[in-house]
Amino acid sequence: MMSLALASPNENLKVVQVWHGGKFKNKLSDMGIYKDSQIKVIKNDIPGPLIVDVKGSRLILGRGQAQKIMVEAY
Amino acid sequence: MDKIRIALAGNPNVGKSTLFNRWTGMRQHVGNWPGKTVEKKEGTFQYNQHEIKVVDLPGNYSLTAYSVEEVVSRDYIVQEKPDVIVNVIDAANIERNLYLTVQMMELGANLILALNMNKFAHEKGLKINKKQLSQLLGVPVIEIEAVDDTGSEKLLETIINVFKSPNIVIDRLKYGNEVSEHVEQIKDIIDSDISGLEAPSSWIAIKLLEDDPEIIKKIEETGKGQRVLREVKKLQKHFNDVFGDDADAAITDARYGFIAGLISESVKKPKIDKVTRSDLIDRIVTHKYLGIPIFLLIMWLTFQITFSLGDPLGGYVEEALAWLGKTIAVSMGDGILTSFIVDGIIGGVGGVLVFVPLIFILFLILSILEDSGYLARAAFVMDRFMHKLVGLHGKSFIPMILGFGCAVPGIMATRTLENERDRLLTMLIIPFMSCSARLPVYALLVAAFFSAYSGWIIFSLYLLGIMVAIMVAAVFKKTIFKGMSAPFVMELPPYRIPTAKGAIIHMWERGALFLKKAGTIILALSLVIWALSSLPVGVEYGSQESITGQIGTVLSPIFAPLGFGEWQATVAIIYGFMAKEVVVSTFGTLYGIGGDDGGEEAPAEGSSSAEEEIAPEENPGFITVMRELFTPLSAYAYMVFVLLYIPCLATLTVIKRETNSWKWPGFAAVYTFVVAYGVSLVIYQGGLLLGF
Repeated sequence: MMSLALASPNENLKVVQVWHGGKFKNKLSDMGIYKDSQIKVIKNDIPGPLIVDVKGSRLILGRGQAQKIMVEAY
Repeated sequence: MDKIRIALAGNPNVGKSTLFNRWTGMRQHVGNWPGKTVEKKEGTFQYNQHEIKVVDLPGNYSLTAYSVEEVVSRDYIVQEKPDVIVNVIDAANIERNLYLTVQMMELGANLILALNMNKFAHEKGLKINKKQLSQLLGVPVIEIEAVDDTGSEKLLETIINVFKSPNIVIDRLKYGNEVSEHVEQIKDIIDSDISGLEAPSSWIAIKLLEDDPEIIKKIEETGKGQRVLREVKKLQKHFNDVFGDDADAAITDARYGFIAGLISESVKKPKIDKVTRSDLIDRIVTHKYLGIPIFLLIMWLTFQITFSLGDPLGGYVEEALAWLGKTIAVSMGDGILTSFIVDGIIGGVGGVLVFVPLIFILFLILSILEDSGYLARAAFVMDRFMHKLVGLHGKSFIPMILGFGCAVPGIMATRTLENERDRLLTMLIIPFMSCSARLPVYALLVAAFFSAYSGWIIFSLYLLGIMVAIMVAAVFKKTIFKGMSAPFVMELPPYRIPTAKGAIIHMWERGALFLKKAGTIILALSLVIWALSSLPVGVEYGSQESITGQIGTVLSPIFAPLGFGEWQATVAIIYGFMAKEVVVSTFGTLYGIGGDDGGEEAPAEGSSSAEEEIAPEENPGFITVMRELFTPLSAYAYMVFVLLYIPCLATLTVIKRETNSWKWPGFAAVYTFVVAYGVSLVIYQGGLLLGF
């Protein structure tokens, strides 16, 4: 298990835990990031936000936010 | 003739607005949802003896109570009960898009799915079996292309059919045993205890389990909800114990699970994700090192195109106004009424109308950048800097870019920022983005003093504005807006070729705000300036003895340390508060530049004399006056002051409207004045020390 912010591009990942509170956790799940969902990093240049693939759509995700999303390879 | 009320719903960036524009063209009305700062677009059109009234609902990912847009959308569906809802879906993103669809099905809406952007889906290797999907969901699924006419006829026919015989979809949803069972339990209690609810009771049951504050309130208000709410609490606890997660998450899971089932039965996905053209472009455009230079290049090109096209067009407007002024002056003869019309109205408002072509072209280019998907990339590229320097995330950058055109649409665009603190901070720094209204001031002074390197001087002012914005934001972030910056997540839409119609409508919506300002505030103000410059009766128009002159004389010592202590410069600053472009026309009025008799007929810019047919910056009379009034150094300090000081009245008004209080516009006015004074002082006094 590791944080999404440390994941390398093009690896198939699964969300294990989302350490975000109420409103933002909801927003993420509405956009397709929730426990057990699949996710893939498209771009992860430090510093700066990430681009991730969620169910075929591309999302920009702030680095700080990505740090609180735990993923594992599957 | 049947009247049909339909609503367009869907995620952001799915082509909803394109479809709306295609149907309604210019016959649309843009306003606000009652009591909300959310835009409401309505329009009507005819189809086969049917009058169709269409509402474009805000682009949403979900229908929770967490954002105003979502509340507006679901309230509309529940309360207004549109006859048909056309759910526009980005076929390339079908799985995520269906999440909203499912929630509208929970609401019992009479749905049609319009699959848009099938080409992208194709490019990605997705094969959607429409028939299968339609059977599983129990709603018609139509393939369309919002940018052209593909599927348009079929969609309209389907709307009529579904209007005549509505679909019943609520029973189609199957959310795993546990969730369905509990929803059913709550639903039964609601059905027996409470009657007369607007929304389906199963939906209310789901929302109660999700802890939706608005729905809980509505149930409490019925006065008969005690038993239901008690049961809900019990079940929520049960969810926690059994799944180790809240009911909310379990329901989300159930929805996505249902969708995954649909997808596996009706969509064929390629084994390996195909690299799309959009991805290839993004490898360059969002590149770690190339991203920023590309962004700067695009911005530079934007301004280059704007000015090379806009300037000559502005010249035509000016000629037309000059002709109008002259014609009126000739036909009406001398007199107070003539002076009122020519100096007051044409001089004041006309001075602003000259910039309309410039502003519209800038907005057209920005709309094209937005519609093509580039602005989202700009937000990505700039996030790094925004984060580090300003403590705002990249999304705030889009309203700031719009601020280069006019602060009013820029401030309205801050509505896309979810976090109230970030939104306020962005609003407060947008006025530092050098809007197109400041340009005439620069153009005039640069022509008088810096003609050899005019481009660089103007560029330096844009840059200074951005730098001040960054510094101010950094200070605010550590003081009044202390705290975590808002979490950042936004969709990166694929690149698209913008449609001409879409870009033009977009441009018009924003440009119209500026025209409205010219028609109201600036008109009113021009008349005030005219009156104050003509009174007391008998003084020479705009002389030091007029009220205007007296005010300027009293206040001018304040500005002496900045290098522009003359009363005319002060008067121009006072009036410029109403609208920055007025600074130029004030000089025109005060000096009677181009006036043939120097008497009360002294016209403002763009009025009666032949000389006025050229732009002020090309007018030798204007330039001479400027050279008497300023030195190169004080001219620069003056431009800096005009750039930074109190946002124009229209900007303050829109800040008031967006924040619903006078506190923030008041604050903005005071702090920008202080900042402007400080920076100009440093530049002027520093420049003197350095021997400029």
